[in-house]
Amino acid sequence: MIHKKFLAAGAAAMVLGMTAACASGPTPTENESGSEGGGENGGDDGKFVVGYSQSNNAEPYRAQLNIQLKHFIEQDHPELELLPITDAKQDSSTQVSHVQQFVQQKVDVLIVSPNEAAPLTAAVQQACDANIPVIILDRTVNTDCYSTFIGGDNYVAGQKAGELAVELLPDGGNVVELQGILSNQPQIDRDKGFRDAIKENPKIEIVDHREAKWLKEEATKVMNQWLARNLEIDLVYAENDPMALGAQLAATSAGKEKDIEFIGTDGLAIPDGGIRAVQQGKLAGTFIYPTGAEEAAAAAAALVKGEQVEKEQILDIQPVTSDNAAELYDKYDFSGN
Amino acid sequence: MLGSLQGYIGLVLVIAAGIITKGDVFLNQTNLTNAVGAFASRGILAVGVTLVILTAGIDLSVGSMLGLASMASAMFLVRADLAPIVILPLCMLVGALMGLFNGLGTTWLRIQPFVMTLATLSVFRGIDRQLSDNVSVGTQIVQDDGSLTPNSEQFQYFGTPGFNLFEGVLGAGIYYPVIAFVLVCVVFQLILSKTTFGRHIYAVGGNETAARLSGVNVNRVKIAVFTLCGLLAGFAGPIDAAYSASADPQAGFTYELDAIAAAVIGGASLSGGRGTIIGTFVGALILTLLDNVLGLNAVSDNMQLIIKGLIVILAVTLQRPDLLSGVVAFFRRFARPSATRRTS
Repeated sequence: MIHKKFLAAGAAAMVLGMTAACASGPTPTENESGSEGGGENGGDDGKFVVGYSQSNNAEPYRAQLNIQLKHFIEQDHPELELLPITDAKQDSSTQVSHVQQFVQQKVDVLIVSPNEAAPLTAAVQQACDANIPVIILDRTVNTDCYSTFIGGDNYVAGQKAGELAVELLPDGGNVVELQGILSNQPQIDRDKGFRDAIKENPKIEIVDHREAKWLKEEATKVMNQWLARNLEIDLVYAENDPMALGAQLAATSAGKEKDIEFIGTDGLAIPDGGIRAVQQGKLAGTFIYPTGAEEAAAAAAALVKGEQVEKEQILDIQPVTSDNAAELYDKYDFSGN
Repeated sequence: MLGSLQGYIGLVLVIAAGIITKGDVFLNQTNLTNAVGAFASRGILAVGVTLVILTAGIDLSVGSMLGLASMASAMFLVRADLAPIVILPLCMLVGALMGLFNGLGTTWLRIQPFVMTLATLSVFRGIDRQLSDNVSVGTQIVQDDGSLTPNSEQFQYFGTPGFNLFEGVLGAGIYYPVIAFVLVCVVFQLILSKTTFGRHIYAVGGNETAARLSGVNVNRVKIAVFTLCGLLAGFAGPIDAAYSASADPQAGFTYELDAIAAAVIGGASLSGGRGTIIGTFVGALILTLLDNVLGLNAVSDNMQLIIKGLIVILAVTLQRPDLLSGVVAFFRRFARPSATRRTS
């Protein structure tokens, strides 16, 4: 209730801001309705307006995505203007209203990271019907009216982690798995990818798996329980870096961190993130799950000019090892911007 | 002060289950320390919430207050390089100010505690996220040569797993979160049972009108319990940050539910006037040891949810003072149906 009221006030303020912006001079939004007309109007005076509906700012991965998107639009595409990013706080119905507000404002390009596929489908369809080109970022919707989908593949992220596990345990061994919220699609896909990949060595066995809800402190607690049970553990696979680091913390307190390998996923370039942890030797490896921000900014710039973009852009999952960690950190560190 | 033995039945059952199924593994000192340590920050929140519940109020914002205090502690450490001994009182001050805000809202503005703290749950979380820009802040800051800064080294003793105070002097040493939780319980139980202020808290929760008529400044008591509740959340902030060696913008999310559950399992009545800190302590132990026993027995995650919920119902039922007479009456009726019918 409270959240919604605040959001409504925020949205109202945003709409007012937009109205003021429109009144101050002709912008491409007023002159054209479709993406084709955009090319002619995108001169020096007016900028093309981009709306981005984010599902949840509170996840570090998404916070990073927001920072990167702002960075790439400012730096590489001065013809674009990014409206304040809306945060649906993991609530699909809130996100539907955000998308509808962007459609009302007649943005030139709409970027959506859907919280859930089904509830957002109709809203994305409305945007398509209003001839607004839509970029779907990271998660899918159940319609193909969008202009392009950009995202990573969680199955591949799990698979690559599994391949690293096979490499680290040539003689086989005991693996424990720390899972995110069990019903989350990224959890389901990473889990499946990992399990498929470790089948290559039948001597690798998953001796236990627990839900740690993506949380570091939960992972510490679960790892403590595993260690108390005297479970023999050679490798911990965690579906995100905070859980891997939480388990590593517990193992360190028991003096067992040297005997166990830790694999995470996400690879955020923040001081507290996975890339630094690989650099410091806390994790054996992690995998950069791509944000797609750079590709989304490029696609937005192409779409407003009426250019075609590839319908599905599946991005690579980049492994982080002790060899390339420092270099990757510099590449993906946007904190200075 | 310790109340009736009945309040401990739930705890005894959980410990018995642990000993029977896992024996030495469960009773191992490290295991018990880890189990209680994992819950310590929530346990401290539960003490604060108990004070508020005793006045017939509720504080839903404790999780957010803890989150903000946890983030503040990490920022004091990382950005300002303050010593942990300075960080602790600063965090308590931050917490107390948040609690004071809750107290003023519920008294001066006459907003119901449920509504006021539901609103500040959102406000405090928002400030936390705004401050941190949604990025977690690590507390183990590394200098250029790879070593920790002196302050961050000390900060680990707030609760980073494996860092015990007085190690060597007292054997394996003591784990600060556990000792902090126990101390908070002792201090606040003494305040409740030995001071005028404590009696006023019960009076306000038992019958507000009667308390007012007998000269108790009701609003002052309410503001005080909310402020103390915030102060305790501030006190728990550094513990939470040190436990994960990192302050997460989402830290403390839904902790209010665990805190309220501990208070209620411990016998606190949501309508006020009834409950003790010892009870809340027992409630917190039941919750965390139950979690530990289920984890040690490798019970699946879905089953854990079901079992935990059912045990809460059982524990609250066992707390009821009229339980025994109720059971006796039930069986008596069952045994002699004809006699019961005749009398009725």
